[in-house]
Amino acid sequence: MNSLSIYVARESGLHKLNPLTKFVLSLCILLGGLAFSNALAGYVILFAIVTPLAMFGGVTKRMYQLVFNISWPLILSVFLIQSFFWGAGTPLFEIGPVSPKLEGVLFAFKSSGRILYVMANFILFSLTTRPDTLMISLKQAGLPGGLAYIIVSTLQLIPQYAAKANIILDAQRSRGLETQGNIVTRARALLPLVLPLVISSLLEVEERAIAIEARAFNSNRVETSILEIPDSQSQKTARAGMIIITILLIAGRFLWQLSS
Amino acid sequence: MNIEISNLHFAYPTGVQALRGISLTIESGEQVAIVGQNGAGKTTLVKHLNGLLQPTSGTVQIGDWNTKEHSVAKMARRVGYVFQNPDDQLFSKNVGIEVAFGPRNLGMNAEQVQRQVNEALAMTELSDKTETNPYDLSATWRKMVALASVIAMDTDIVIFDEPTTGQDAANIARIANVIKVLRERGKTVITITHDIDFCGENFARVIAMSQGRILLDGKANDVLGQEDVLATTYVDPPQLTRLGKRLGFKETVRNEEEFLAGLKK
Amino acid sequence: MAIVELKNVTYKYPLTDTPVLKNINAQVNEGEFVAVIGPNGAGKSTLCYTVAGFVPHFFKGEITGAVEVAGSESSKSNLHEWVLNVGLAFQNPFNQISGAKYTVFEEIAFGLENIGVPREEMIQRVNDAMKLTGISELADRSPYSLSGGQQQRVALTSILVMRPKVLVLDEPTSQMDPIGTREVFGVIRALAEKGMTVILAEHKVEWIANFADRVVALHEGEIIADGKPSDVLTSDLLAEKGFGLSRYTSVARKAKAMGMWQKERLPVTLDEAVEGFTLTLPSPKGRGE
Repeated sequence: MNSLSIYVARESGLHKLNPLTKFVLSLCILLGGLAFSNALAGYVILFAIVTPLAMFGGVTKRMYQLVFNISWPLILSVFLIQSFFWGAGTPLFEIGPVSPKLEGVLFAFKSSGRILYVMANFILFSLTTRPDTLMISLKQAGLPGGLAYIIVSTLQLIPQYAAKANIILDAQRSRGLETQGNIVTRARALLPLVLPLVISSLLEVEERAIAIEARAFNSNRVETSILEIPDSQSQKTARAGMIIITILLIAGRFLWQLSS
Repeated sequence: MNIEISNLHFAYPTGVQALRGISLTIESGEQVAIVGQNGAGKTTLVKHLNGLLQPTSGTVQIGDWNTKEHSVAKMARRVGYVFQNPDDQLFSKNVGIEVAFGPRNLGMNAEQVQRQVNEALAMTELSDKTETNPYDLSATWRKMVALASVIAMDTDIVIFDEPTTGQDAANIARIANVIKVLRERGKTVITITHDIDFCGENFARVIAMSQGRILLDGKANDVLGQEDVLATTYVDPPQLTRLGKRLGFKETVRNEEEFLAGLKK
Repeated sequence: MAIVELKNVTYKYPLTDTPVLKNINAQVNEGEFVAVIGPNGAGKSTLCYTVAGFVPHFFKGEITGAVEVAGSESSKSNLHEWVLNVGLAFQNPFNQISGAKYTVFEEIAFGLENIGVPREEMIQRVNDAMKLTGISELADRSPYSLSGGQQQRVALTSILVMRPKVLVLDEPTSQMDPIGTREVFGVIRALAEKGMTVILAEHKVEWIANFADRVVALHEGEIIADGKPSDVLTSDLLAEKGFGLSRYTSVARKAKAMGMWQKERLPVTLDEAVEGFTLTLPSPKGRGE
């Protein structure tokens, strides 16, 4: 799919859920998880909640691939920084001036758990929810239609503009423009690359506006939708339930912190 | 300056085999049109001539330069390339400055730049629009600005990608004239085009491509006369070529002059 | 019966002094297929926008005279209601894709969603329209994964599905390769044959000559010829004004001056040219063995 969306089409129970239900579920996992300060909390949520959900959605492998690709540089740097630059603590070993501290390693372990479950949670949601269906649901829940259109069309158009930027780069290099080298060379190359993109995008915006107006985009009639977004009373109840549980968890966390 | 392409293969990172063994020599001063359906590999091929793409295997030699050994900005001294959409390259506040951009990049001195700009503007009939902002011009004239901005670089080889798309008869005649002047100056011109009448009227050599290979390559009359082979890459012969065939002319004709001569025989 | 009527229409874009359309008077009958030709800048696109309501509703500017379609007047309507009378498709297929949809099927439904067509009816209409333009097999593809010709047919279908009374097409094949051109012209021709009223701005004269009912020639904002394709496309006036004409016409005009074209009328199509030049050839049967 030529889009920024990483959505993977599957006939799974998770895919069939109403996008709002998945949105709320995802939000609850994110916030609820932060309520626990235990070092293992992130890993427990990742393996006991997010992974089974991914299996339910049939996207476990893809999810872990993406999680790994995105988070390894972050996790590596967290481990390096926290273990080597932790101020005072129990040294694990010493090589010259370098002495990683046990406390630093533990902290990095905890942080990594959080990074992993937050990433996995977000990626799982994106893998199983089409942006347009989410927007339709949000529109039905009260988000203005124009805003929903802008969000979805932008997601689709960004890759198209990236392709256009490459053509412009090629066209200007073909006119002898140096784009590699020191800062001055690169700064000089900026205008010939950026201006055509901005100007031609502005020219296109007018055509796009004409095209959607030609399809009665600004009609004042009540809109209908070609996509049926499945919803049910039980999903509505589940959403309310999840929100209440999350609020209770966060409230509990605050009270516990205040009391200790 | 000759162009020497030998056994060129190219695959995109997606794995699509865009060129499957192209060997080709284009001699200094030749006028070559490349035709064929979209996806045949025409643009992929010409992008190798100034190093925008590098061969997966095989070599591309421009004079004594192997394109592998030089940056695109350096190759621009020998190969000028006019992209299809002028809006992908215009950015200056007036036509004169826009056209001077290429020659300046190539390191010409102020006097040379001015001379090249003036000549290119005269050739494209833009001399009276030097002070105009390119975006105040119609799309038709913006196309001419794009042509001028590459011609002013005074390269031995000039490539045009679909120069006549969206142009009217008057502007197509202007573009044909630019190509004629370049020929008289001994430049090599390589043009990708779907406009087969334009191709027949302005190019002595025609290359037809299909599925990453060269289908036909030769004198325009020989190539354009092969209606059946051209049909496999969805190209119809020019109108006058078809008319000559229907009238039973023994020789293939491709422009008015040849047709009228054929009629007298 | 006239379905489109332009009465003395003159129009200036905002912040400009010269009118782009000058005293345009024209009628298009129901079911007629009218081609509009002219050099770039002659006002073809503006004329298309005017019939489609974008002039003046979208572009603003100064318009005098009246534009009527099926008895109602453009200036008294809203753009979002007027587009239900007149459908518009234009050159660049890529810019006509809404960007809001993930499949061709949904893309085509976009306009129907906007005007609140019930879902069941919408599905039926989208399927019918896709069948009409021969793109049913593209239904589940992403609009961005298509070739130019396919995208342009999707754009056409997205307009047709709204069932306009008149279809206005502004150079729909100008950015297509030969296959795309063939695909798009094929659809237009089929629609015209089914009785759709079509106004088509176009440069490809040979095709117009074969299929249009009428040709209107625009020059510097004025209609300078209006009539049957075989008359308009061979007129000396158009040749003098530098219109792009078919190679058959131009070469026959030269041949005529040299005494090698004997018929009164110049040819526009290949068949007409073959017929006419055969008369010139000394011994037609002795050739082409």
